[in-house]
Amino acid sequence: MIALGDATIGVERRALLHGVDATIASGAFVALLGPNGVGKTTLLRTLAGTNAPFAGTIRVGDVDPHGLAPIERARRIAFVASDDAPLPGLLVRDVVASGRYPFHRWWQWGADASDDAAIAGALDAVGMRAFERRRFETLSSGERQRIWIALALAQEAPVLLLDEPTSHLDVRVAHEILALLRDQARAGRTVVCAMHDLNDAAAYADRLMLLGDERMLAFDAPERVLESATLEAAYGVRMEAVRLRSGATRVFVV
Amino acid sequence: MNVALRSAGLLALALLALVGSLLVGGSAIAPGELLRALAHPNGGGDVATIVWQLRMPRVAIAAVAGAELAIAGALLQGLLRNPLVDSYLTGVSPGAAAAIAISVVAGVAAPALPAVGFVAGLATAMIVAAFARRGTGLDAIRLILAGVSLSALFSAVVTLVLTRAGADYAAQILSWLAGSTAGRGWHDLLFTAPYAALGVAVAAAAVPALNVLRLGEGRAAAIGVNVDRTQWTVLVASALLAASAVAVAGSIGFVGLVVPHLGRRIVGTDARALFPASALLGAALCAIADAASRSIAAPAELPIGVLLAFVGVPAFLYLYMRSERSVA
Repeated sequence: MIALGDATIGVERRALLHGVDATIASGAFVALLGPNGVGKTTLLRTLAGTNAPFAGTIRVGDVDPHGLAPIERARRIAFVASDDAPLPGLLVRDVVASGRYPFHRWWQWGADASDDAAIAGALDAVGMRAFERRRFETLSSGERQRIWIALALAQEAPVLLLDEPTSHLDVRVAHEILALLRDQARAGRTVVCAMHDLNDAAAYADRLMLLGDERMLAFDAPERVLESATLEAAYGVRMEAVRLRSGATRVFVV
Repeated sequence: MNVALRSAGLLALALLALVGSLLVGGSAIAPGELLRALAHPNGGGDVATIVWQLRMPRVAIAAVAGAELAIAGALLQGLLRNPLVDSYLTGVSPGAAAAIAISVVAGVAAPALPAVGFVAGLATAMIVAAFARRGTGLDAIRLILAGVSLSALFSAVVTLVLTRAGADYAAQILSWLAGSTAGRGWHDLLFTAPYAALGVAVAAAAVPALNVLRLGEGRAAAIGVNVDRTQWTVLVASALLAASAVAVAGSIGFVGLVVPHLGRRIVGTDARALFPASALLGAALCAIADAASRSIAAPAELPIGVLLAFVGVPAFLYLYMRSERSVA
């Protein structure tokens, strides 16, 4: 469970979001939405414990993540950043195996049986087991994104935070990644994922957290967040919400 | 060929280089004579004396210094993820050089010079670290800037001392600056052994974190690496290793920069394989260079640092360019 209590969040000395109050249940898949620069990444970094909130409280499980030692934090929270890097010379397995660092003492240089199981499980979960011995730099960006997620899964942390994991990916791969994240949430992980595509968010996430105007505008089920007035307040663009025959809600710019 | 096999190959190469460099010098020793002398350390005779008292300490010192400089370079290149840095970056060698130059002119006895070099080298590394501090960690750019500018300052000090010192002093300073194992004995090795051992132990503690740092600082921090602590660990280890190398063998450039490159080409970037591979390559290279420095112009000695630069740099550039092309 993640709880934000009247939290003010910002970067350097600049506050970006004020008075954020929200509770994210364990096993939920929450999509974090809002215009560029609103503070999605900063909120994720604050939940990850890298940044401290300016005011208010942040709880991940029963602790303040910023107060944890890096290694303790990494066992509880896995963070997939938005940047990508080719990492020349590394095998896919090397990258995923890095996720086992928080479980090793400094003198333990090699992988033990529990590491091997976690690495294999993470690669299976992202459908990349066959790529274990491939050089990381030869993968496509969609494949690399899967490996970054596998690295996070190898941490076996109950909380998974992702910063725009589907940008730069084609439609099919983006949907595969989102389905994979939904499966992780169903398996009990708490998933918070910053993203831009409102319809993808509505299709996969349990709840949407919409940020805008320096605060949290809405935090609710997709059909209740995706309303014209709320979206216009966040993005400054007129949008229309359409209820499909399946019951799902989709939005279009008008 | 897998990494274990390649590492075994490097071990064989290093042993071959060590034994081979015992054979050559002012007077050549036949392999049979060498074996007999090695089997009977106290057997007496000229050959045993040459092998055990003259050549072996030098070869051992050259090999240890080469291994230390190579590990120090691999540590810093791994930490800063910059292939162009070596232990000179931390100012160890220029700091030691300046202190030794001043000590020579001030009349400090020759046996005390390694200790002076060691202390001054470590002190310079700490000054560089103080300039590079940012919060609880180190700033990579500031570290490079502080290292380069302090190195320039200490080089100027050495030049100033050289221009003011008499010819005898200048010769003594220059021989030290060019790197030399001439006249070194077992006691010099014993003096630096504890620091070398400590440096290797500290370096070993940084291995897992350095491997994760290959993913980048931000990702490593997210996976639980204490980046600040790793920076200090690496800095301390590389300063200890470089200072103890400089104390016994003088300024030997090139090894710390180039050997990790060769190591990466042979065993890859995994620090668990790269550090031992770099140590073996550095030891082999310096042992061969020491043998050459005794033999090429015997009975005169050529400075080991100069030899390494003359032979090693073109060879390295050739190998590097060729493999770059074959990769392309």
